Amino acid sequence: MHDGPHQPWVLGWCGPLRSAPQLRNEKLIIMNSERVLNPTRRRRGRSAAVVGGSLALALVAASCGNGNGNGNGDAEASEGGGTISTYTCEPQNLQPGNNTENCGSRVLQQLFTGLTEVDYETYEAQPAMATDWQTDDQVQWTFELSDEYTFHNGDPVTAQTFVDTWNWVVDPDNAQATANFHDKFLGYEEVVNGEAEEMEGIRAVDDYTLEIELVEPFGQLPIVLTYNGFYPMPEAAFDDMDAFQQAPIGNGRYQMDGEWVHDAEINMDRYEDWPGEDPGTPDRIEWRIYNDIETAYLDVQAGELDILGEVPPSRIGQIEDDFGENYSQNESSRFVYIGLPTYQDDWEDVDLRRALSMAMDREEINEQIFEGAMTPAYGILPPILPMSRNDACEYCEFEPEQAAELYEEAGGPSEFTMYTDIGTGHNEYVEAIANQWMSNLPVDDITFQSLEFAQYLDLHDSREVTGPYRLGWLLAYPSAQYAMEPLYTTGAASNNAEYSSEEFDEAIREANFADAEDADELYQAAEDHLLEDLPVLPLFFQDYFIVHTDRVDNVYSDLSSYVRVEDVTVDED
Amino acid sequence: MTGYIIRRLLQFVPVLIAATLIVYAMVFLMPGDPIRALSGDRPMSDAVQAQLRDQYNLDDPFLVQYGKYMWGVITQGDFGTTFQGRPVLDIIQQGLPVTLTLAAVAFGFQAIIGAIAGILAAVYKDSFIDRFVQVSLVIAVALPTLAIAFLLQLTFGLNLGWFPIAGIRDGFVSYILPGIVLAAVSTGIVARMLRSELIEALQSDYVRTATAKGMKRSRVVTRHGLRNSLIPVVTFLGADLATMMGGAIVVESVFNMPGLGGQVFRSIQAQENTIVVGIVTLFVLFYVVVNLLVDLLYAALDPRIRYD
Repeated sequence: MHDGPHQPWVLGWCGPLRSAPQLRNEKLIIMNSERVLNPTRRRRGRSAAVVGGSLALALVAASCGNGNGNGNGDAEASEGGGTISTYTCEPQNLQPGNNTENCGSRVLQQLFTGLTEVDYETYEAQPAMATDWQTDDQVQWTFELSDEYTFHNGDPVTAQTFVDTWNWVVDPDNAQATANFHDKFLGYEEVVNGEAEEMEGIRAVDDYTLEIELVEPFGQLPIVLTYNGFYPMPEAAFDDMDAFQQAPIGNGRYQMDGEWVHDAEINMDRYEDWPGEDPGTPDRIEWRIYNDIETAYLDVQAGELDILGEVPPSRIGQIEDDFGENYSQNESSRFVYIGLPTYQDDWEDVDLRRALSMAMDREEINEQIFEGAMTPAYGILPPILPMSRNDACEYCEFEPEQAAELYEEAGGPSEFTMYTDIGTGHNEYVEAIANQWMSNLPVDDITFQSLEFAQYLDLHDSREVTGPYRLGWLLAYPSAQYAMEPLYTTGAASNNAEYSSEEFDEAIREANFADAEDADELYQAAEDHLLEDLPVLPLFFQDYFIVHTDRVDNVYSDLSSYVRVEDVTVDED
Repeated sequence: MTGYIIRRLLQFVPVLIAATLIVYAMVFLMPGDPIRALSGDRPMSDAVQAQLRDQYNLDDPFLVQYGKYMWGVITQGDFGTTFQGRPVLDIIQQGLPVTLTLAAVAFGFQAIIGAIAGILAAVYKDSFIDRFVQVSLVIAVALPTLAIAFLLQLTFGLNLGWFPIAGIRDGFVSYILPGIVLAAVSTGIVARMLRSELIEALQSDYVRTATAKGMKRSRVVTRHGLRNSLIPVVTFLGADLATMMGGAIVVESVFNMPGLGGQVFRSIQAQENTIVVGIVTLFVLFYVVVNLLVDLLYAALDPRIRYD
């Protein structure tokens, strides 16, 4: 999932970093009191207790306030009803296999049901269309499908549907953006190279039994399959994809009401024949498309829009004045880091990278630039994932003197350039880091180069970055594998640091090969290599602020920063 | 007159060709690879990227790309698609009514309010009304468009609740605030221009003669003074209507209106050549047509002007 503010709709969700909110009133301090009083909280504790203080609060308050619960396996949830309107940005497209951005995938999540679903409490895969799955070796997988699911046009969804959809998505002629999410399926390479029509590893044994054979063991498969790139598509889609994406026919909790009105709205009604255990709570979801989150914020204030999941940073200081209790702070998996081009001689030395990391005061940046609205990062794995740790990074502690010594010994450059993408307000924190480095390390001068996002990516691809750069990463599915493998394994597509470590590659392989239940420690071991070598310096995990109107409740967002709209309850209609 | 119009229409052809060529070249020259940027920092597989580049002729040299585009336009009326396959014509069809309505509301506002303010200020020169008009117009001209937009949104949208803050869900009412914002600067210019022109006209000999003959003041102002003051104002209004398309980019964005202005902004960022060319060419066409109409209006306003 990209972190790319290259287009306005993407800018919408990357926007929260656009400008640095100033400390404006005392209320904000109260809001963040937990962190102000105990800034190390996030580093010591872990997991459930820590997962977004306010998120937990919001959940508790909501389930106390009315009987609808949060919908996860709660049969009462369907008694909700009502209509909600919620923010999104203009999707690039509404094809499940072609969507890798936020604006569209949160919409698709409501229209489609994959084989598995994310359990938003444990961040594990739970049964959805697949009622059960088995594997002995993490290579051969058998998924038993429910026979009750139908597409919104009445067509049944069978094992063959998945076979056809995935083959279509992988076929290069169809140019689907999520094609390479399927690259562990046996036969993927052959189809991409035009040597085969279909992947031999995907087989429908009968109508409701799907066999998946992989090229190597991969215990994370069930959680990977929650991603929208694996949703099934009906016959109608393959006949006319352009018509299909104007009003996607899915098999999910909600079905389209009318067509997607570009730049304006997407409406959907609850699909009453959806056979899952936890159908959506609202009767109807109206996605309102905004190209500016500031405008959306005003519309929530005016009661024209029920929910905005990405409060602009400039508003965070006044959020309590504007909304009273109708807001929440939610952790996400969005990881913002300072990468180092290890392919340049200057940055090859690991001591240098450690020195830079130890010369960064992450707490200070969070307080001064973001008013405490982020979660300082002391690891690579997002705190929202159960296996993440907050005390694993030895070189993330702020140790300016030690850092200066180390930097001196390693012969670090006294002048260098830092790189950012422009137009998205990353400059504030990048400059703050530069200032910290200049005051804590023997560095005389740091220059900045800001580039348009497309140009920025080009510079990375051509390996012409000469100094520290900022980038981000958002998980497409909640797996430690996705937080590390695409970014740090040798030759990986998004390995902009060109980090290469046999030990790390081996550790990731070992973790991937393992059964999901045994994988946590193995992924931690892989993370340890990264925290030793620091190809990227962890900076922070972004928190998202949600505001909503009085009439809705139980509003929270998941690790991708998506508001779980299917769980929202309506107080009065 | 007919010959003149035909000559002017023929001049459109080279203007439009030059416009498409220049716009296409400018988008082409933007740094960065649009396909690479499409999926952010997790690149699509090489096969998918290659397929997309091929589909949108992105590997061709500039003139070949441009040639293929124009060939499609001329032979099949095919104006191309977005990188997601949405036809440009479809986008224009959806966005044009919004942008045109917005422009019409803004134009009406600046023409009517601007004219009334200008006339009042001129007729009651140096009075309180004159000062009031002048001061408020200076404010309207001096305030940045964005500031006016937020001010109106907060006051009339959020606090008073008279108008919707954003979107076009409420029909015509939704166009009023954005229309005013789009018109604000020009309204000030129109009023000040008309004021000074009218003051000058009212001091001229023919007006004094008309007044001396015992004509009613209102008739003197409207028939003798105003008619002769209108030419520069009409020129300005015409040119302004044409440039309004540019202003629409900001206003549509702030008021979240699904028009062409916002679309062209996004398409430039995504380097979607065909959309930018399609919409900008439409803006250019609009501009030359409005200019032609303005020129024709001169003849109606000033009998001394003849076209042949």
